[in-house]
Amino acid sequence: MTVVVAARGLVKRYDRTVAVAGLELEVDEGEIFGLVGPNGAGKTTILRMLATLLVPTAGDAEIAGESIRRNPNAARRVLGFMPDVFGVYDDMKVWEYLDFFARCYGLSAPRRRQMIGDLLDLVDLSDKRDSFVQGLSRGMQQRLCLAHALVHDPQVLLLDEPASGLDPRARVELRELLRELRSLGKTILISSHILPELEELCTSVAIVDRGQVLAQGRVSDIEGRLRSGAVLRIRVMGDGESIDAARTQFAADPEVASAAILPDGTIELGFRGDDAASARLLRDAVAAGLPIVTFARAASDLEELFLQVTAREEPAAPPPADGRTAA
Amino acid sequence: MSTVRLFAGRLRAGRLRAGLAGGQLGIAFSGISAIGAKELRGRMRSRRAFAFLTFYLTVLSGFVWMLESLVSQSARGGAFEAAQTGTTVFTGLLLLETLLVVFLAPAFTTGAISQEREKQTLDLLVATPISSFSIVVGKLFSALAWVFILVIASIPLTSIVFVFGGVAPEDLVRGYVVLIIDAIGLGTIGLFFSALLKRTLAATVASYFIVLVLTLGATFVWAFLYATSAQVDRSNLDGSFSVTRHPPPEAIMWFNPFVADADVLCPTGTGSNGFCSLVSEVTGNTQQINQNFGGPRQVIGGVGKPIPVQDGAPGPNVIVDVEPAIGLLAPDAPIAPPRDLYWPRSAAAWIVLSIILVLASANLVSPTRRWRPNLSRLRRTRRDAG
Repeated sequence: MTVVVAARGLVKRYDRTVAVAGLELEVDEGEIFGLVGPNGAGKTTILRMLATLLVPTAGDAEIAGESIRRNPNAARRVLGFMPDVFGVYDDMKVWEYLDFFARCYGLSAPRRRQMIGDLLDLVDLSDKRDSFVQGLSRGMQQRLCLAHALVHDPQVLLLDEPASGLDPRARVELRELLRELRSLGKTILISSHILPELEELCTSVAIVDRGQVLAQGRVSDIEGRLRSGAVLRIRVMGDGESIDAARTQFAADPEVASAAILPDGTIELGFRGDDAASARLLRDAVAAGLPIVTFARAASDLEELFLQVTAREEPAAPPPADGRTAA
Repeated sequence: MSTVRLFAGRLRAGRLRAGLAGGQLGIAFSGISAIGAKELRGRMRSRRAFAFLTFYLTVLSGFVWMLESLVSQSARGGAFEAAQTGTTVFTGLLLLETLLVVFLAPAFTTGAISQEREKQTLDLLVATPISSFSIVVGKLFSALAWVFILVIASIPLTSIVFVFGGVAPEDLVRGYVVLIIDAIGLGTIGLFFSALLKRTLAATVASYFIVLVLTLGATFVWAFLYATSAQVDRSNLDGSFSVTRHPPPEAIMWFNPFVADADVLCPTGTGSNGFCSLVSEVTGNTQQINQNFGGPRQVIGGVGKPIPVQDGAPGPNVIVDVEPAIGLLAPDAPIAPPRDLYWPRSAAAWIVLSIILVLASANLVSPTRRWRPNLSRLRRTRRDAG
C-alpha cells in the first residue's frame, strides 16, 4: 500500500491559540479515512491545511507526493475539497456550475462535456442538469459540491463534515456514493463528529482532540488496544425467576466481573475473558440447559472508543506516540 | 445553430489547449476566461440587464436633446453656433459619463471578492489551481464589462456631435480612452477593498470614501495649495508688486477624472470654454503672474517658460494674455496649449495605481500569499513592549 496523504508535524497556530499541534498522519491509497473529534478539535483546520487553503505554521504534508507548502498548485490538481460550509452561486445552472469548475482546472470543452454528464450520473443529478443551483435541496447541493470536487478526477478527496445537515435518507445516499468512489480508486479523507456515520464507512480512523491525534488505525485495532474488558449481552427464554437463576449461574463464572439484569430482561455481564473464554462460557451455559436466545458481545463502538480516548486525556499532557493510553 | 456552437466549442478547446501548452500565461488566461464566462453568464441572463441598458440610453438621449435645445435656442444658426452646440453636447455627455463611471465602476467591483466570502464560495474557487491573479483580473473585467457596455453603447449617441461639428473624431477617441482607463482604475479601488475587507458593505464604504478623497478631496487640497502658493514681491519702486506662483504639483489632480476630461475638452470647439485655463493652472503652464497694484491683471507666462515683460510697453500695465485661446477666435495664438500632455499623465497614473491594486488584491485573495499584513503580530509586539 502506498501512502497518499502524509502529514509530518503539521502545526497551525492562530495568534496564541494552537489549533493543530504537530499532526502526524498517514493515509494509505484507497482508504476511507475518518477524522473524528469533538467540535473545535482541529478537524477543519487540518483539512483546510491539506487542501492548501491555510498555510501551516510549521510542518508539511504531501498529497499524492506533492508538498502542500512547496507546490500547492500541484497539490490542488490531485485533491478535491469539499468544505463543511459552502455556498452556491446564484444565477447558475447545475451544468454551468460544474462547467465553471472544470474550466478552472483547464479541461478542454469536449472533456468538460463528457465529465459533466458522467458526474451528474454519478451523483444522481442528471435530471437536474438545467435547474438553478440555488433551487436544489440541501442534499442535492451537497452532492453537487461533491461532484465539483471530482471534476478533475483527483486522487484524494478531502470532505469536511459532508453529511452535516442531511436527512437520514440523503445520508445513506452519500454513504453509498462514497463507497462507490472508493471502488473507483479514490482515497477519501472525511471528518465528522457524528460517529456512527464514520463507523459504517471508514476503513481507518484517527481520533483527534485539541489538534492532536489521540489514536489512529483500523477501528477494530483501536478497539483491541483499548479494550479492558467486554460487555456480554445474553437473553434467555423464560420469566423473571428463570432469568434471575441464569444470572446467578453466569455470575459464578470466574471471568465474569459483574452480572446485571436490564429492564428488558437482558442479562448484561462485565466479562474479563477473551474470545475463547466467552466461547467456553456459552458452551457451559448451553450444557447446563439454559434456554439461550441470543448471546452477543456488545460492540464497543466508535462512540464509546471516542469517549474513552478523549476522557483519558489530561488537558496538558501530550499523548504517547502510538496512541495507547494508560487507564 | 448547434453546428455553429459545436464549432465554436472546438475552437475554444483548441485555443485552450494551445493556452495550456503556452505555460503560465495560458493557465492565467484560461482562469480569467473561466471566471469571466461565469460572471457574465449570471449577470447577463436576466432581462434586467437589457432593461437597464435601454433605460440608460433613453435618459442619455433625453439629456442630449435638452442640451441641444438649450444651446440652439440662443443660436442664430451658423457654422460657429453649430460648433458651439457640438462642443456643448460633447462636454455634457463626457462629464455625465465620467460621473457615471465614478459612481458605477466601484459599485460593480466592491462585491467581487467579499461577496464570494459572504456566500462562502471563495474557498471552492481558491482550492482550484487557477491563480489568485486570474481570479481578481477575471472578476475585475467581468464586473467592469457592464460599465464598458454602458460606455460603449453611448458611442453612437455621442457621435451625434459630428452632425454639429466643433468636435473632431480624435477628441471622441481621447474622451473614451480616458473614460475606459478611469473605469479600470476606479474599478480596481473597489476590487482592492473587496479583497481587503470581509464585508461588502465595508468595502463599498471604504471604496467611495477613497474615490471621494481622490476626486473632491484632492481638488480641495490642490485649491488650498494653489491659493496659498502666491509669493508677493513688493520691491518694485513704482508701487506695483509682482506675484510669483509656485503652483502645487499636478500629481495631486491626476486621479481627478474631471480634470483629465477638461484636458480632452480644451481644444474642442471655439476654444473659449474655460477648460484650457483650468488645465493650464493645474499643469502650471502659467508660471508667473504679475499683478499691478490697482491696475489690470497681468498674466505673464507661457509654455514652460515665462515671457519677459516687453520694454516700452505703455506704462506698467503690460498685458500679455496667454489665456490659451485657439481655434476660431485666435488661430494664430502664439502660445497654444500643447495637446495630450496632461491626460496621458493622468491615465498613466491610473494604470500604475490599477496594477498595484490588482497585485495587492491577488495577494490578499491567495491563501498561500507570501506577504500579509500581520496585525496580530503588531498588536502582540506592542503589548509586549508595553
